[in-house]
Amino acid sequence: MKSARLFIAGVALGALSAFAIGPAQAGRDRLVVDLVNEPSSLDPHVQWNPDSYYVYRNIFDNLLTRDDAGNIAPQIATSWKQLSDTEIEFTIRDDVTFHDGRKLTPEDVVYSVTRITDPKFGSPQLGQFNKITGAQASGPNTVKLTTDGPYPALLAQLVKLSIVPKHVVEAVGKDAFNQKPVGSGPYLFEGWQRGVQVALKRNDAYWGPKGKFPAAIFRAVPDAATRVANLQAGSSDLGVSLDSDQAAQLKSSSRAKPLAVLTERVAYLRLNPSKPPFDNADVRRAVAYAVDKEGLIEGVLGGYDKAVPIMLTPVHVGWVEGVKAPAYDPAKAKALVAKAGAAAKAEIELATAPVFDQRVVQAVQQMLTDVGLNVKIAMSDMASYLKRAQSGPETVPSLSFGRWSCACQDADGVIFPLLHKSSGWSAYRNTKADELLEAARATLDESKRIAAYKQVHEIVADEVPLVPLYQSAIIYGAANALQWKPTPNESMFLNRMDWKD
Amino acid sequence: MRSFLLRRLGQAVVTLFGVATLIFFLQRLTGDPTYLLVPETATPADIEAMRRTLGFDRPLIVQYLSFLADLARFDLGRSVVQNVPVSTIIASRVPYTLMLAGGALLVACGIGIPVGIALALWRENPVSRALAGLVLAAQSMPTFWSGILMIMVFAVTLRWLPPSSTGGVEHLIMPSIALGLLSMATFARITRTALLDELSKDYVRTARARGASRRWILVRHLARNAAIPVITVAALEISNLLAGAVIVETVFAWPGLGQVTVQSILARDFLVVQGVVLLGAFVTIGLNVLADILYSIVDPRIRLDGVAR
Amino acid sequence: MTARPATLHPERARRRVRLATWIPLAIIVAFVLVAILAPYIAPYNPNQQNLLARLRAPGFVSRGVTYALGSDELGRDLLSRLIHGARISLLVAFASVLISGTVGVTLGMLAGYLRGTVETVVMRIVDVFLSIPAILLAIITVAVLGPGLVNVILVLALTRWPRYARVAYGQTLAVANMPYVRLATFMGASPSRILLRHILPNIIGAVTVVATLEFGLMVLFEAGLSFLGLGIQPPTASWGAMLSTGRSYLANAWWIATFPGLCLFLLVLAVNLLGDDLRDRFDPRLS
Repeated sequence: MKSARLFIAGVALGALSAFAIGPAQAGRDRLVVDLVNEPSSLDPHVQWNPDSYYVYRNIFDNLLTRDDAGNIAPQIATSWKQLSDTEIEFTIRDDVTFHDGRKLTPEDVVYSVTRITDPKFGSPQLGQFNKITGAQASGPNTVKLTTDGPYPALLAQLVKLSIVPKHVVEAVGKDAFNQKPVGSGPYLFEGWQRGVQVALKRNDAYWGPKGKFPAAIFRAVPDAATRVANLQAGSSDLGVSLDSDQAAQLKSSSRAKPLAVLTERVAYLRLNPSKPPFDNADVRRAVAYAVDKEGLIEGVLGGYDKAVPIMLTPVHVGWVEGVKAPAYDPAKAKALVAKAGAAAKAEIELATAPVFDQRVVQAVQQMLTDVGLNVKIAMSDMASYLKRAQSGPETVPSLSFGRWSCACQDADGVIFPLLHKSSGWSAYRNTKADELLEAARATLDESKRIAAYKQVHEIVADEVPLVPLYQSAIIYGAANALQWKPTPNESMFLNRMDWKD
Repeated sequence: MRSFLLRRLGQAVVTLFGVATLIFFLQRLTGDPTYLLVPETATPADIEAMRRTLGFDRPLIVQYLSFLADLARFDLGRSVVQNVPVSTIIASRVPYTLMLAGGALLVACGIGIPVGIALALWRENPVSRALAGLVLAAQSMPTFWSGILMIMVFAVTLRWLPPSSTGGVEHLIMPSIALGLLSMATFARITRTALLDELSKDYVRTARARGASRRWILVRHLARNAAIPVITVAALEISNLLAGAVIVETVFAWPGLGQVTVQSILARDFLVVQGVVLLGAFVTIGLNVLADILYSIVDPRIRLDGVAR
Repeated sequence: MTARPATLHPERARRRVRLATWIPLAIIVAFVLVAILAPYIAPYNPNQQNLLARLRAPGFVSRGVTYALGSDELGRDLLSRLIHGARISLLVAFASVLISGTVGVTLGMLAGYLRGTVETVVMRIVDVFLSIPAILLAIITVAVLGPGLVNVILVLALTRWPRYARVAYGQTLAVANMPYVRLATFMGASPSRILLRHILPNIIGAVTVVATLEFGLMVLFEAGLSFLGLGIQPPTASWGAMLSTGRSYLANAWWIATFPGLCLFLLVLAVNLLGDDLRDRFDPRLS
């Protein structure tokens, strides 16, 4: 009954506030950002959600960060030292205060690590941090982390570790903290009009580079055409997730412009070698020869994206030049299909989801059809797509289109889950590749890792369990006056933006 | 009368229970939210752990019973995606849904009823035929297309109105029109039929024979009597408007219940979907029961108890 | 404010009725013909892409291909897609109206004639179904049966039958009380005979009117499903799918959404006009 009364009170309050709070109008002292959906939560440890990520990264600092060039750089940790293969010590900045005025201490760092790695806490990000087995304050301003073995991607993962204030979280509890997060970042949480917008205010006491906008507002605008219209009408300053045709539309606008950057996302086709016709390696190779990546990029994607020969991008650790991969050669593809005979005519299901670029999926289907394969597109919603994509070799679709991001810029987060037999994503079984992937994961020696990955890339190029397509560009729409250089890791730091004079 | 009421209410409760049960099990056919909540790099073990944390590893019947137990306490549960009580999410959206439905109803009645009257009184007039055509035409346009067209014209090119989102009354104008266009024709039709119905009745003929002016008849008798079916339809149309708002809400970034329903269905946020659907069913079924009772009062010919008199 | 009663000019009224029937009917027949003859009248293969001729305006000529209505986001001929799209859109609308109408009318008549338990159960099931969002049924169908044309029809039928059931139920209640039906019952006619011979002919008018309205809605709903990514699978052309992709190109390639929008609009309008006309004919008060 209590919740019923609460509900009625909530409705009344909502009705009052709906008209009370003025429209979000873009202006110089307030940045208006159009996201796709509303953030799911603002507690950095309880979700893995892109819309939340854009917002909370401005409220919280992370242990490490990446600079605009993409290199791992200090943030809360000023320096770090590898003590052994499994131990690393971070020196913690001593001039950081949380938004409530309390100083950030090594205890807060330790608390943040133990919170997110506690299986009982149930963070969706657990898998990114559960190699960390221990965290302790080893000195007045140092923290030592222990891992359960050598873990080469540790620093890349710690870029995403937000530091939360122990005293606040323990005092108010998980739910209240989620509703009213307190961090140490360049912007502080001001209010959340649920369903409508999240408002942030500049943290004038920030220890690092301060924001240029006194306030920022994040809204949910699910339709991309509406996000474009908002930019053209001047009612927003920044909009996410546009495609190349929408970018072209903005180019002809007097008020807004597209901002594009190549990300760490790789677009790929995944083949299921246990299903006909892809149980025949020649038919798999035919797919690799049939896809005209440059044609896709120039013809459909507006030239923003970049073709890749291997299942990585140049911003990943593990990227190697000079792997000989099949290049576009429709004649060769046709010959391979002909050689496979009637077996190559088996129907191929091309699985996709609405979030992916359907222009690309249809163009790929046409290219494969042109060389004599029988491809049918099957689109399902994202949850069904993901479930099926990770269901094992018997039920994984014979062909699927996807865009992979591990948010870690390390080969271990890309080709390991896509190929290794322990992963739900893998429909490919190759003992040699599995061993190489395991070896690359178990050493901190980067040259050894790269040598192992190079061999894996060569196996992929020859056996074609995957066809790497291109390094995806992400396109934002921005007001003409906004100056910002988007980064490959798709973060959106407000204090790295400015108005043009 | 009382026994009818009791039975009708009992049926309403059973129906609600049916909705709750069906929606619970139907949703479970579509998997669970785990895959959407974890990063792509999550291993099968990570996914299993997450599923356990969320409680989706429990047998279906256990989940169902716990849902019913919560429901019995008027507790709709918590959203596993947004980490807040379902009632908070619904409460934040209801005002916007009501505003949009109200605006749309205003548009639909404001245009539909006058057109209906014109159609009934001046059937031969080319102007009213043209009006009828326009109203039908408006209904034949898909909202996601007319919506974006309106945004392009009135917000981007002419800059008269804000393109999307919430704020002052000016934000409500385009979404209301987009949604209202869909029910306009219904109102026009009902108004016309009701008026023609009344026009053919004896009292109008008598009044006319006595020499009463047409205008006087219209105001005194027709308006009042013809209003009853129009109001009935309005009540039913409200639930249609609430349901049909999804696309309008998506195009205009309007934070109503329709959007949250679709997003929650796609996100497999089961409890939110259950909450919204139950609320909708409660309102619809409640309106139906109310309509049945009103009918019985207005028109005693309708037999309530199913037994011939 | 002088209105002449229609009866004063029987000649004119009859001609108007004929026009009001024939014009929409002609439009519908034309669309049906286009749909049936699509492979013969479409100038090109509707799925043939040309990435070098994307988003070209109507009249564009490239490599000997004339894009009479322009090209779409993958350089396909819009006219050919429009013609083939008519097939899918009409098929979806016809089939879903037929299925949901048959199911709904059967159940509604049974409920209205048999009353008692059947009535309660059927009408409460109708209530339950009306409470479940169509998109949820769509996702469930896709999740369980996979995407495709047949399943789109199934989704539409599943979500729409309660509406027919309601109308059929209400009409049956009214008709079942009429003296001649009672007489037939008294004379010992079987329930199935009464339902088919006495009740159905009397309610079919009202049902037809609903069906015409629903027909237009089904074309729009298919478009709505495409908008949510749950409709007909690409690259198959349907007006709904063309419209939902084309709408994001309104500013730089207006033709993609405008032509299917126009066709859809014309079809729905024609069907609605026909429905209104039928309603006028079946409604004794208006004659």
